[in-house]
Amino acid sequence: MMKTFDLRVKQLLDGDLSLADLPPELRAEGEEALRLIAAVDRAPVTLTPALDTRVMTAVRQHAKSPARRAWRWLAAPREVELRLRVRPWAVWGGALAAAAALALLLSRPPAPAPSAFHNVAFVRFVLYAPGASRVAVAGTFNQWDQAAAPLVPAGTAGVWTTTLALPVGQHQYAFVVDGRRWIADPAAPAVDDGFGRRNSVVAVTTQGARTL
Amino acid sequence: MNAFWLALAIAVAAPPVRGLVAQDVATRLEGRVPPSVARAVQGIAQDARARGLPVEPLIQKAIEGGAKGVPADRVIAAVQLLAARLDEARSALRDAGIQHPTPETLESGAYGLSAGLSARQVRDLGRVSRPRYDPALTLRVAATLSALGVPSERGLQLMEHMIKAGRGPSDLLDLPSEVQVGMARGATAAEAAEELDAARGGREAQGEHDQRDEHGEEGGVTRKP
Amino acid sequence: MESRDAVTDGEIVRGVLAGDVELYAVLVERYRDRFARYAVRMLGSHDAAEDALQDALVRAFDRLADCREPDKFAGWLFLILRNRCFAEQRRHQREGRLSEDAAEAVAAPERSDGAVERHEQARELELALGQLTAEQREAFVLKHVAGMPYEEIAQLTGATVASLKMRMHRAYDRLRELMKEYR
Repeated sequence: MMKTFDLRVKQLLDGDLSLADLPPELRAEGEEALRLIAAVDRAPVTLTPALDTRVMTAVRQHAKSPARRAWRWLAAPREVELRLRVRPWAVWGGALAAAAALALLLSRPPAPAPSAFHNVAFVRFVLYAPGASRVAVAGTFNQWDQAAAPLVPAGTAGVWTTTLALPVGQHQYAFVVDGRRWIADPAAPAVDDGFGRRNSVVAVTTQGARTL
Repeated sequence: MNAFWLALAIAVAAPPVRGLVAQDVATRLEGRVPPSVARAVQGIAQDARARGLPVEPLIQKAIEGGAKGVPADRVIAAVQLLAARLDEARSALRDAGIQHPTPETLESGAYGLSAGLSARQVRDLGRVSRPRYDPALTLRVAATLSALGVPSERGLQLMEHMIKAGRGPSDLLDLPSEVQVGMARGATAAEAAEELDAARGGREAQGEHDQRDEHGEEGGVTRKP
Repeated sequence: MESRDAVTDGEIVRGVLAGDVELYAVLVERYRDRFARYAVRMLGSHDAAEDALQDALVRAFDRLADCREPDKFAGWLFLILRNRCFAEQRRHQREGRLSEDAAEAVAAPERSDGAVERHEQARELELALGQLTAEQREAFVLKHVAGMPYEEIAQLTGATVASLKMRMHRAYDRLRELMKEYR
């Protein structure tokens, strides 16, 4: 039967004991064990740079495939789908988000990507409403029906979000909090709605949604 | 695949496609607004249609009011105001030489007026919008800049400079986002617009008038702030 | 102009989710080499490791919306890669594949003095590692290749320190047994 390492030798390998801590009769075994471990190849590994290219090619394809996104969106309506060509105007309001948006905007200008489907683009709506029990988005794209587009809680506490397929054109909208409070998107331009409140505006083009 | 997208569009209750003839107002408003509102809006819409103005935005505004639970008289007032703005926009655009503005352009004009542009500014924008620039687009950009808080004259100036500098429509569409970037940095909307003007429109507009040097680089005096 | 490195993982994740797909390249760049060693040591070949990393990175993108804590993207990506490596190993075992190509994964010696012998030992250890269970191999790689303390491995893999040590101790014995067989 194969002799196993003494427990203290194993503890030596774990780094819980030093060689000096071992009794003399175990020193040889300890050294054998250390030599075994030392044989492992620790050299840092560099993979081919082509890996990055392959990954991003696949990523771009996956991002451009709205059918896949849409299918998942339809199949699991409470799951948040977030692939779209929107400039980060839909980030929730607040200094932290503004700083994040700034960092993102300065780090890389988004590349334009034409939609594969000419008359529709995905638009993501986000609202930070920590006290809300339900949030919806209503606008010209859904006849102002607050039942048509509920938002779901996103991963971060207090953040609500949804993604809608909107036809090309200009749309006005507002968030409806708890079925009664109509509020404009804090991160989008606002216009007078004619009723004493403000609506938010988004324009959907074949390149996606814009602050417009 | 097209059938799929059609289904999806229906599933998310897409609004009517532009160019379709507006459906009967009463049918559209039934159940969404009180009967008194429906009747009033029908009258406003008929009047608008007779004057060649688009009816769809009026219906949308009424539906919006109903959905928001706005009192009937306020809904009617808002629809009347919108009809008046569509009319005003059309006059301004005609003054600009655009004799037959599209419904989309008229809506953009009305949007501009509701965002704080004056009729004169709508006219001026209509004038600088050459064939390359769709007035519906330029009006929307100007209106959105105003909605962001850029003083309307400032926004117009920025846009005029960019148009004169030969900036493409896509660059114009980027302006509101860029103002937002500037505001995220702490600038006011006006300051952000000014920075953009100095960086893009102003200097290039100036440069266009100057002689390009033999290396093809823009020469000349930099624009004084 | 703020450099990309100043941007945190969380900010990048949020940016990608908001639609800036190209930003994802920053994460790819950050983690490809960081996890490369783990993948190579787990799977025993560069090619297999590249495939696994590519799959993991693309899958992480596909499921980015499920990353509940964007600032902990690294740990989340690691788990995806880990699952991929484990699945690959299970497949190897089912197919009865020997980890002979594991020897290829070992860095070639640059000098001749003493290096060849070390290279041989490394090859043998690599072969032996291929005989361990995926969990044992992983524990070994994280502890003795990546140099992680047990507490960190526990956090990363969800195992307790105690169970990790037990796993590792079994691995030590198995390795000893296997290395003796090779001589």
